[in-house]
Amino acid sequence: MGYPYSHEKETVVLSRGFGDPATRTLARWKEMGGYTALEKALNLPYEEVIEEVKSSGLRGRGGAGFPTGVKWSFMPQEKKGPHYLCCNADESEPGTFKDRELMRWTPHQVIEGCLIAAHAIRAEHVYIYCRGEFFEATQVLARAVEEAYEAGLIGKNILGTGVDIELTVVAGAGAYICGEETALMNSLEGRRGLPRVKPPFPAAIGAFGQPTTINNVETLCAVPHIINRGGAWYREQGTEKSPGTKLFCVSGHVRRPGNYELPLGFPMMELINDVCGGLRPGRTLKAVIPGGSSVPIMNAEECASCTLDYEGVIECGSMLGCASVIVMDDSTNIVKQVRRMVDFYAHESCGQCTPCREGTQWLSRILVRIENGKGTEEDLDTLLELGDQMTGTTICVLSDSAAAPVASSIEKFRDDYLALIRRGERVGAA
Amino acid sequence: MSDSKRGGPDRNVPFRNPGWAGNTGEYELSEAEVRGEEYVGIRSKDGGHPSISTTMPYILDEKSPDAPLFEGEYRERLDKIRSRYPDLRGALIPVLNLAQEIRGHLTSETMKEVAAELELSDAYVRGVATFYTMYNKAPVGRFLIQVCTNISCNLCGGDEVLAAFLKHAGVEMGETTDDGLFTITEVECLAACGFPTAVQINSRYYENVQPEDVPALLDRLREEGA
Ligand SMILES: Cc1cc2nc3c(=O)[nH]c(=O)nc-3n(C[C@H](O)[C@H](O)[C@H](O)COP(=O)(O)O)c2cc1C
Ligand code: SF4
Ligand code: FES
Repeated sequence: MGYPYSHEKETVVLSRGFGDPATRTLARWKEMGGYTALEKALNLPYEEVIEEVKSSGLRGRGGAGFPTGVKWSFMPQEKKGPHYLCCNADESEPGTFKDRELMRWTPHQVIEGCLIAAHAIRAEHVYIYCRGEFFEATQVLARAVEEAYEAGLIGKNILGTGVDIELTVVAGAGAYICGEETALMNSLEGRRGLPRVKPPFPAAIGAFGQPTTINNVETLCAVPHIINRGGAWYREQGTEKSPGTKLFCVSGHVRRPGNYELPLGFPMMELINDVCGGLRPGRTLKAVIPGGSSVPIMNAEECASCTLDYEGVIECGSMLGCASVIVMDDSTNIVKQVRRMVDFYAHESCGQCTPCREGTQWLSRILVRIENGKGTEEDLDTLLELGDQMTGTTICVLSDSAAAPVASSIEKFRDDYLALIRRGERVGAA
Repeated sequence: MSDSKRGGPDRNVPFRNPGWAGNTGEYELSEAEVRGEEYVGIRSKDGGHPSISTTMPYILDEKSPDAPLFEGEYRERLDKIRSRYPDLRGALIPVLNLAQEIRGHLTSETMKEVAAELELSDAYVRGVATFYTMYNKAPVGRFLIQVCTNISCNLCGGDEVLAAFLKHAGVEMGETTDDGLFTITEVECLAACGFPTAVQINSRYYENVQPEDVPALLDRLREEGA
């Protein structure tokens, strides 16, 4: 059920209990069938848990959409030392606000998902890395962890199955880059949050030098439902290649922004116009960023036929990312908003790679110039060239993410840039 | 009432989240219910269960720059935190959080104490501490007000909300008011984009803040801070 609004077209799986304060408690969560999946999973061999999740086709909700069961199967067969599971609760991609809702309304769902995943990868310790700013959501989660420990759901010999799993809630300290999986592990180890060069991949050498799997909060929340009802049931929703339901975070110029849970493959215009109550009166759609600030911007024409699944959005010229749909109507100054996103990346670049550290600053400065009416048409070529040099040349994809909105907006909204540039010329001439 | 010029949620449609506006009866939920205050309860300074000992507030209401760092219940909490990591270094971020919670900001003296406690070099701790934006390197006001001006909030008037805070508190960005109450800054996306404009004040989120809400919000904080 969406929050703060809900809609009859939603398919409620993960968002059951959103907006109901009682769902946070262990008692109510159990009444709702909570922790039965954990009991079932712990009594299964770990391989079967992985198989069930593989068969569901669940794809990672942290942005990349990598199949979760496959990721789990990368963990070493032969266990030589400790394994770790990291739950990525560092949500900070502009436009994305689903993990916070999952944590503050359904903390036990997060815990249950973590424990099942930990069993599947044979991890003895789970770290939930929460964004530092999420003080309120983290407190709710922490209380739930405490309740679960008291009830014997975490710790030694969980539910009498002989499985031991410890779980620690960790709060970060403010750095978007710590959402990147290897940066998160560095931060967890007490280092600066610098992404690592891959390979080695986390499944080989991860947190504290041990095999590690890292999953997003929403990914892990889907796991208990898959264990309870089966991979085949999960596939009844969504599309062949993008099964299941997804929380869509809709923000910007719609009348009812918020989270809505819908099957993947849902039409974008129906989401905007129907589920979210449409645009403000008298306004028309100008642009949509469908997956958080890191993905290319779409114009109204591309949105018209777009369906919201991993493949559907790619076909229409962007990416689904975390399904963070940012809606912009005709009152939007695209150049200003692109500049604002670039400033974000310039601020959050960890500074290890020159194209990213210098490139984001350059992009920002040129965009500010254009925004202030002092740009030239050649600046657009410079921006595109800079973006090219920043793409595919760095340790992590933050650099690519900063370039994506710039290149796509120049391609699709060139007139907006030109209007600012020409107005500037006229002002200058007068 | 939603301002059709600015965008953001239509307050004429039944809306369950009271945002910052308090328990006015207009909303289905109270502020305390949204925040889970009753469920969370009062957390003990020794951190409670070791699994959650890292998660206390990052700014206490009563901060004290000279308070001892690792004594009494805080010593207990430190030991619990250390028990959750395979090595001492792992505890660094939670321990820096703890230091800031007690003292309000991190001086080089504080960083040295942390370094000694965790058997790390001073330079290493400084290098880590300066990487993260939530560590205040200088004192901040009683209320640290951080206004999101990133894209989703910006589309709905985030810049105007920031300007309203600066105007009504009578202070420049990043500065602290003369009475020591408010420090106001801009912040990157707070992951509350569906509730524009999102504002974080110390450990709390205030949602759906509009420029015209700002004077009353500041008044309420003045009352709390008095
Ligand atoms: C710059 C950057 C920031 C990221 N931020 C997040 C984040 O805040 N939350 C998240 O779950 N994943 C984030 N990711 C993706 C993670 O690296 C990782 O792919 C993800 O957590 C894996 O989980 P999943 O397989 O369940 O999707 C980020 C990636 C990059 C490159
Ligand atoms: S691309 Fe940017 S954020 Fe990523 S590692 Fe390089 S400098 Fe750091
Ligand atoms: S853009 Fe303001 S909270 Fe995300």
